[in-house]
Amino acid sequence: MSSAFQPLAIPASAGIGLRSPHISEMLTRRPSAGWLEVHAENYMGDGAGVEALERLRETYPLSLHGVGLSLGSAGGLDRDHLERLRSVCERFRPDLVSEHLAWSVADGAYLNDLLPLRYDEEALSIVARNVETVQDKLKRRVLIENLSAYLAFADSSMNEAEFLAELVARTGCGLLLDVNNVHVSAHNLQYDAKAFIDVLPADAVGEIHLAGHATNQVGADTVLIDDHGSRVPPVVWALYEHAIARLGPRPTLIEWDTDVPVLDVLLGEAMWADMLTASIMFSRKQAARQAAAAKPRPESPTPFENVKTGMPVLAAFAAAKAGPVMSAALTPMEGRYDVAA
Amino acid sequence: MLPLEHLQTTMARSVLAIEPMVSAKMLTAGKADPLARLRIYQNNTRSSLTAVLMADFPVTVRLVDERFFRYVASEFIRRHPPVESRLSRYGAGFPRFLKTIDTLSDIPIVAETARLEWAIAEALDTASLPPRSLVDYDKIDLGPSPDILLQPSLRLIVSHWSILSVWTAHQQGTAVDQHCTWTRRPERVALWRAGNSVRLVLLDRADFAFRHSLKHGLGLEHGASRAHALDPNFDLVSALVRLFADELVTNVRITVHSLSN
Repeated sequence: MSSAFQPLAIPASAGIGLRSPHISEMLTRRPSAGWLEVHAENYMGDGAGVEALERLRETYPLSLHGVGLSLGSAGGLDRDHLERLRSVCERFRPDLVSEHLAWSVADGAYLNDLLPLRYDEEALSIVARNVETVQDKLKRRVLIENLSAYLAFADSSMNEAEFLAELVARTGCGLLLDVNNVHVSAHNLQYDAKAFIDVLPADAVGEIHLAGHATNQVGADTVLIDDHGSRVPPVVWALYEHAIARLGPRPTLIEWDTDVPVLDVLLGEAMWADMLTASIMFSRKQAARQAAAAKPRPESPTPFENVKTGMPVLAAFAAAKAGPVMSAALTPMEGRYDVAA
Repeated sequence: MLPLEHLQTTMARSVLAIEPMVSAKMLTAGKADPLARLRIYQNNTRSSLTAVLMADFPVTVRLVDERFFRYVASEFIRRHPPVESRLSRYGAGFPRFLKTIDTLSDIPIVAETARLEWAIAEALDTASLPPRSLVDYDKIDLGPSPDILLQPSLRLIVSHWSILSVWTAHQQGTAVDQHCTWTRRPERVALWRAGNSVRLVLLDRADFAFRHSLKHGLGLEHGASRAHALDPNFDLVSALVRLFADELVTNVRITVHSLSN
């Protein structure tokens, strides 16, 4: 039970979302996965999955990801649900706890989807109050995840990234940067994905999510659907590279919720994330050494800008060999990076 | 501009396809039609909650055909959306809702089977405590009428229809007899969680009453009396041995019952 669990810190490397088809294999194989993330709502009962997670928690650091708190609900938080979340935290002692910048409860109904907010001062006050309530209850900082959206509200007075930055300033919360969500929303609502990432306060980002998405054509509208049902596509790897170049290594989760593949595919995606991060950080060290030696070299494109392969990390290595990645200013994370992590 | 709570109420009703819909003027979606994009949320809500119901009621899906199940599920979701985000609790009202569907009024076994499936879903989300064995109490004087505590996942269901037979016939690896008829035959079913799955057994009237009394904390004496009333040949010792053999007993306590009992 909870009191027996030792704190296990989540490393700045890749982990996987624990999904029910993999639980039995995880228990028998105990594969090398940096850490695990689970949906909090799936562990609020007392089924066999809860018992399995107790066994896995002895081995793996854990991130607890809530999907049902509805932090953006103007009607306030469900106190019973928050208490259940507290109990799950107490039981499993996760190293990270996260939720979404979204609402899913209104008019007495839970919609089982994450809906966008109208980004304005009223919503900011409400979400900040709700986040503070959660942090007070859990006695810890929580990470708030950006949303994948298909529409927005015409009366918003700021964008989502500005809203998140202000939320961090008001509440001291952290951020969970979902790179796939940034890409999906940027495409669907037509804004610059990299600019979104650049607005976020880098120090606040405590975790990154990566996933695949689907492309739907509805008439003339090409809409990206955040279905977590496929490999991380090259365009999302490229945006991840941009994020890592700016933020430094971060705990990175491979999310895969629909059409869940065999466990090794998920572990393979996590390995790609680790290798890409290693490649970026290696390139940055090379660049720093070269800059120190006062031998300026022409800036080369980032590894993914010319990538057309389905295996982007290998392309990243090829690009890294061809020339250093000259990114923006180095972040303080570099000195802490450990390739063996 | 609407206050946020009002806006969210309007949006929630729109997502559940309840009129009136949110005004397109409030929404934006780049160059796309925002109301078309709203339909993505409608579809996400309906399809994800339908998937929850299909996972809880797999035999019911097969009994009524998947397309019809999806239609009924979407109506249920629209009229009775979840009231909380713990979706393991969503579906408790679905069997009763099935009884209100005109098309199903002449095949009540569908709703009855759904009732059995909901009990299974509940049991699977309930703790399984370490079972005790009879040997544990070899040298302990438990008094004349101890309290016997049973697994919290134990569910007892009585139906006028052969629900367990129908359910069993639709399990993986079981050949379904296409010519079998749904019979009006009372069945009393006990089910409880055993690891990742459930165990289901048919009980006679006396054994059902006996376990029912114990489950509701009425004590061994009460349970035995009710069972004897229903079946003078009720064998208490055999019933107790079966309870332990089924790993249903989690504790036995000496209890001082009040005189009024």
